Amino acid sequence: MDEKTSEINQSRQFHEVTLREFELTDVDDYFVWASDDRVSPWWRWDTFTNKEDVLAFMEKTVLPHPWMRAICLDGRPVGAISVTRRTAEHQCRAELGYVIASQYWGRGIATEAVNLVLGTIFGDMEGLERLEALVLVQNVRSQKVLEKAGFTKEGILKKYLIHKGKISDMTSSGIVFFCDLIYYYLDRLFEGIHELMPNDEVFFNSKLRQLDAQ
Amino acid sequence: MNHDQKHQKPKTPTITLRKFVLSDVDAFMSWAADPRVTRFQRRDPYDDPADALAYITTHILPHPWYRAICINNTPVGSISVKPAAGEDQHRASIGYRLAYDYWGKGIATEALKLTIKAAFEELDHLERLEAIADVDNPASQRVLEKAGFKKEGVLRKYVRLKGESRDMVMFSFLVSDAV
Repeated sequence: MDEKTSEINQSRQFHEVTLREFELTDVDDYFVWASDDRVSPWWRWDTFTNKEDVLAFMEKTVLPHPWMRAICLDGRPVGAISVTRRTAEHQCRAELGYVIASQYWGRGIATEAVNLVLGTIFGDMEGLERLEALVLVQNVRSQKVLEKAGFTKEGILKKYLIHKGKISDMTSSGIVFFCDLIYYYLDRLFEGIHELMPNDEVFFNSKLRQLDAQ
Repeated sequence: MNHDQKHQKPKTPTITLRKFVLSDVDAFMSWAADPRVTRFQRRDPYDDPADALAYITTHILPHPWYRAICINNTPVGSISVKPAAGEDQHRASIGYRLAYDYWGKGIATEALKLTIKAAFEELDHLERLEAIADVDNPASQRVLEKAGFKKEGVLRKYVRLKGESRDMVMFSFLVSDAV
């Protein structure tokens, strides 16, 4: 990264969202959202109350998961995202799930994490053609994340899942490879062009000075 | 023939549902060996009645809810209800197939209506019946609508059928709809 770009990044207070595999040493960070009463209502699991239980959960479910990643903000886990592939004749599809610690809600982190997944998942999982997400109808925030990431809300599946003992309606959203991803690739292309360009104001001012000097 | 009779649709024949027995194999072949019927199924048409017999033995007879759709006790199709796996026992999916010569007579619709009633009576905790139909199968979509199912949406590239990922229309019939 050259000097000019790092100057720009600093002035914009740039925060980087990255994905990486979990390790057991992440238990302290995992405990933050797993024990949060603001987060667990949206998930099938109950709020965790101690780190030993979270450690056991990470050993049993998180680490062996075929595709699960820590969502990191400036290198520190603030949430988790997973892609669970279906079997047999349903292998063409996989279910997306994600959780973010409540103190980081509303900052676009989930959307960025979903975008990062979209960039690699269809290459990682051969034969995958559909990524879908089931979201409680009341969870409007999460539906917006999916919408911003380019998912289409396909319908409401009534009395579909048992959530915390209650039979619940879920919205079904999907994104299909490859047609839906054209917009995704265009967005990334425009982002890339923008990053390569020097600071716009300085660039145009210097161009105008050059023209004046002629 | 008076004016009313001329414009009446032909009556749907009386149909009954019963469990399959092995001697139904010939009747079973009347739809299972027909590519027009298997077009929207995962399997190819059966060639050999021995394969059909194996399927009846290993899949149909032990199935939790699988019935022959009968006219005068002769099977002309089948209908099955499969509860969802795992925790979601309140949910079950319906599938049905009918011999080609019996299409267009309201038989599938009638079989669905009988099945809906029986499923909610017999299956504990059932609250949601669902069915999916290929977007290119409007006949099946109409049958589901006539039986009282509600269309919930199109799930794109939902399932692989004969080497291709297909868009499917999702329908549901809730226990509250059964009143």
